[in-house]
Amino acid sequence: MSATSSAIGITTKYDAIVVGGGHNGLTTAAYLAKAGRKVLVLERRHILGGAAVSEEVYPGFTYTVCSYVVSLLRPEVIRELELAKHGLQIVPLTGAFTPMEDGNYIAFWPDAASTRDEIKRHSVRDADRYEEFHQLMFEMAYAVKPILGMVPPDLVSPSLRDLGTLRELSRHMKGLGRRKFHYLHKIMTMSAADFLAEFFETDVMKSAMSISGIIGTMLGPCSPGTAYVLLHHYMGELDGAFTAWGSQKGGTGGVSEALASAARSHGAETRCNAAVEQVIVKNGRAVGVALESGEEIFSKVVVSGCDPKVTFLKLLDHKDLPGELVESIKKFKFRGSSGKVNLALDGLPDFTAAPDPTYLHGIGMVEIAPSLAYMERAYDEAKYGGFSSRPYMDVVVPTVVDPSMAPPGKHVMSIFVQYANYELADSTWEDERENFGDAVVDTLAEFAPNLKDLILHRQVLSPWDIEKEFALTTGNIFQGELTLDQLFFLRPAAGWAQHRTPIRNYYQCGSGTHPGGGITGGPGRLAALEILRRTS
Amino acid sequence: MANRFDVVVIGAGHNGLVAAAYLARAGRRVLVLEQRDAVGGIAVTEELIPGYRFSTCADAVSSYLAPEITRELGLSGCGLETIETDPVLLSPQPDGSCLRIWRDTSRTASEIERYSTADAARYPQFVDLMQRLTGMLRGLLEVTPPDIPEVTGLDLIGMRGLLGPLRKMGRKNIPELARVLPMPAADLLNEWFESGVVKGAIAASGVRAMTWGPREAGTAYLLLHRWACSDTGLFRCGSLLRGGAGKLTEALAEAARGAGVEIRTGASVAAIDQVAGAATGVTLQSGASIPAGTVVSGASPRTTFLELLDPTRLSAATVQHVRNIKYRGSSARVHLALSALPRFTGIAESELGASGHVQIAPTMDYLQRAYDHVKYGEMSERPYLDVSVPSVADDTLAPPGHHTMSIAVQYAPYHIEGGWNEDHRARLLDTVLATLGEYAPGAGDTVVDSHVLTPTDLEARFDLPEGNLHHGEMTLDQLLFMRPIPGSARYRAPVENVYLCGSGCHPGGVLTGLPGRNAARQILSGRP
Repeated sequence: MSATSSAIGITTKYDAIVVGGGHNGLTTAAYLAKAGRKVLVLERRHILGGAAVSEEVYPGFTYTVCSYVVSLLRPEVIRELELAKHGLQIVPLTGAFTPMEDGNYIAFWPDAASTRDEIKRHSVRDADRYEEFHQLMFEMAYAVKPILGMVPPDLVSPSLRDLGTLRELSRHMKGLGRRKFHYLHKIMTMSAADFLAEFFETDVMKSAMSISGIIGTMLGPCSPGTAYVLLHHYMGELDGAFTAWGSQKGGTGGVSEALASAARSHGAETRCNAAVEQVIVKNGRAVGVALESGEEIFSKVVVSGCDPKVTFLKLLDHKDLPGELVESIKKFKFRGSSGKVNLALDGLPDFTAAPDPTYLHGIGMVEIAPSLAYMERAYDEAKYGGFSSRPYMDVVVPTVVDPSMAPPGKHVMSIFVQYANYELADSTWEDERENFGDAVVDTLAEFAPNLKDLILHRQVLSPWDIEKEFALTTGNIFQGELTLDQLFFLRPAAGWAQHRTPIRNYYQCGSGTHPGGGITGGPGRLAALEILRRTS
Repeated sequence: MANRFDVVVIGAGHNGLVAAAYLARAGRRVLVLEQRDAVGGIAVTEELIPGYRFSTCADAVSSYLAPEITRELGLSGCGLETIETDPVLLSPQPDGSCLRIWRDTSRTASEIERYSTADAARYPQFVDLMQRLTGMLRGLLEVTPPDIPEVTGLDLIGMRGLLGPLRKMGRKNIPELARVLPMPAADLLNEWFESGVVKGAIAASGVRAMTWGPREAGTAYLLLHRWACSDTGLFRCGSLLRGGAGKLTEALAEAARGAGVEIRTGASVAAIDQVAGAATGVTLQSGASIPAGTVVSGASPRTTFLELLDPTRLSAATVQHVRNIKYRGSSARVHLALSALPRFTGIAESELGASGHVQIAPTMDYLQRAYDHVKYGEMSERPYLDVSVPSVADDTLAPPGHHTMSIAVQYAPYHIEGGWNEDHRARLLDTVLATLGEYAPGAGDTVVDSHVLTPTDLEARFDLPEGNLHHGEMTLDQLLFMRPIPGSARYRAPVENVYLCGSGCHPGGVLTGLPGRNAARQILSGRP
């Protein structure tokens, strides 16, 4: 069969095949197509988007099945690919609400004055320092922005270009000056809780602010390394592109659709239900891919949007790779830590901590992160191989700003849940999935007792399900943890952080490469630029 | 009027004494002022229980002390008597077995065989890689931290000593060092080993005196730091100092005096005197003032900046940096006078005699679970114990037939719920004895008397803020150019003529004496 396919000689049909139609794969495809390359995107599932998809799992209700907020998408990607023209439409969420266990609450609003007044209810000092903190995080985001847009240098065997990058880097650091550099060092190394403690005195502020530091990471807010994840999530607020976390009209799938539309407008082809089995390597060069169906498709370049484990260890034969790289990729930490529960609701739940029942009706986000101790206990319970009985939850109700996602008067609720250890010590996720779903609903019902009566349908995704459904190793949403030892020139491995691989014409463009996860399009863009530079 | 002294050193701890000795050897007239009645700081031997002498705070190991200090200050002639130990570590298990870490790598590998064949095979490779990486790290500990990001050519010249170790490590290992240093010790060890027993034995060195468990990022650094400073080429030292930890500082004091240093004990410094933003000497609690051109503080950064220097005269940013230093000690010490040698299951009397060090950290998860309590202001239910029985090899410490046992206990957080009180103290001792009893049945029955030092006791007795043994946690955000605070990492306080030489400075704690040596070199160089 394969002989016939290659005998037909479709070798020259495509300049590039992108394996995986996630947001990064689509971004790479769009950039390559825009530069005149003939591109084919192959997606395993029936729908494009990877982890950024919207699906009608329950009739009439659109779930943002996996990822759910989009404020991280790089402005240059939006601009250069003209995504607004292709249907990108971000609806800002209007606020975030964190109920506390003592019945009190804290809320964050898009306008600074309201947030300030709200924080003042808890601490005047914290309200004063909130502005200062915000300012600093902006400065820090600007400080790392050029680094996130930089192809990491290869320190193993540096080329002239790498030395240039290093020079640029040291010049950039010098330009930051001591104060900013020292803060940046702290952010890179500290825990979110400790870093926040330098600014805030109340536990609820530290807890509510720390959540961005733990999302997608098997670490608690008191674990060092989480301050960086906090900053990573701040990147979205740059450039005035978004003033707050936003929800894509029609769910995050709309982002993928916009990217796909941009790619297609430049001539790229996309194919769903086309699972790639292997990258075909001849004489150390990638020449195409073999699908699970047995079909073989040939191209000049193959780009993998999959995570590093899939990219190197599944799509390739280990024999084709240097042993050290195989070792490095095996060491690359995934540790899926999160699950997802999607609910179809008959109406909006009432949170008892809210000052009045309608208070929440305009708010799209509820954070169940009542105290640092709560968060740490949730982490401790999961870290030895379990899931939190009272988890941290990032609850988004996109239908309050985008009613099109559910029938009139009805709502969808997306609940991002931590912690759920991919590796259960004494059970399997098949057995625990619904218990996990119960823990989520029970805990949320502690804060909104009428929730249970409103549930029309429930979808529970454990990290194991996320792995199976989205081909994300261990269900890690960032395609590998964003810890210091896995960033920049070490992502995914020293010497192979420049989106290349040891196989000629085989490239990587997923979140497992620099600058990492989130719906940013950053890795996809950098990979495309590298490919264009190397194959012009 | 000419000052009688060029330099006043505050605190006769090991770093103060090292700095004083180097400065005196360079011709400076040096006075060391110690508030306690004896020299030594945390490295002292005291008769805490009548008839029994203990290393009160720091363990009786001399071998972390940088060998160049021993050589340059001629310490070998100062009565230091080191007993080399082998195995360097005994790690008894609940099942009655015991993992022994020997100086000899292949001998250890065959011990490991009992727990995992794969781990036994990998242990020698692990030791080899770590030795390469720590060689480089060792070089880094001896330099004055560069003023990143404003690195000058002079900084680079100052770091030329790193070229040798760099070459030895191999260029290929540069990214590996960069990858490993910020990791959790647990992640590093998980990459190499499968047995929790092996991982626990090694990981303990990454969390000792640190308020973190092995899963916390940065503990790989501490593991490598200890490795870089040890005399065994391994992750912990293998020596016992005859006469206890105090002998180390007595020897340093002797060397300092020999170089012309004057040492006054019972002389507590109240303030560093300043005129027009420059130090002119110190004022003692007694009211006496001692003029000097240079003041070197071996006290903790918190004490130095917020008590000895007038914080109202420091910049707001400096004061904020100092207030942000994380101390939060969580090590307690329990000293026991014993009527008989304790018998650990699986450990022969002769082995205990040859080693003297028993580590109760049976697995890596055990360490992590012990730490988890700290986050909620609790002490560990089953703590990590570093047990030393120095009297087995040193007959100067206890009456004949009797023994002394010193136990470093983790975790007993300074910030315990409700603050330390008699109940907590009693519970700490009970917990320690119960844990000990699981590995050395009957040991509790031989206890003649005990002496418990909580982190608050250590703070009160030794100028250790929050009981932290290292004058500030050795976490990644508090190392190198960040230690003790940005702007003062080159041993110079933001007040003219004031220098820092304690373990609050680079390269931190662990009795190396390097902060004192580095500070003295910096003072003599006159460089900023």
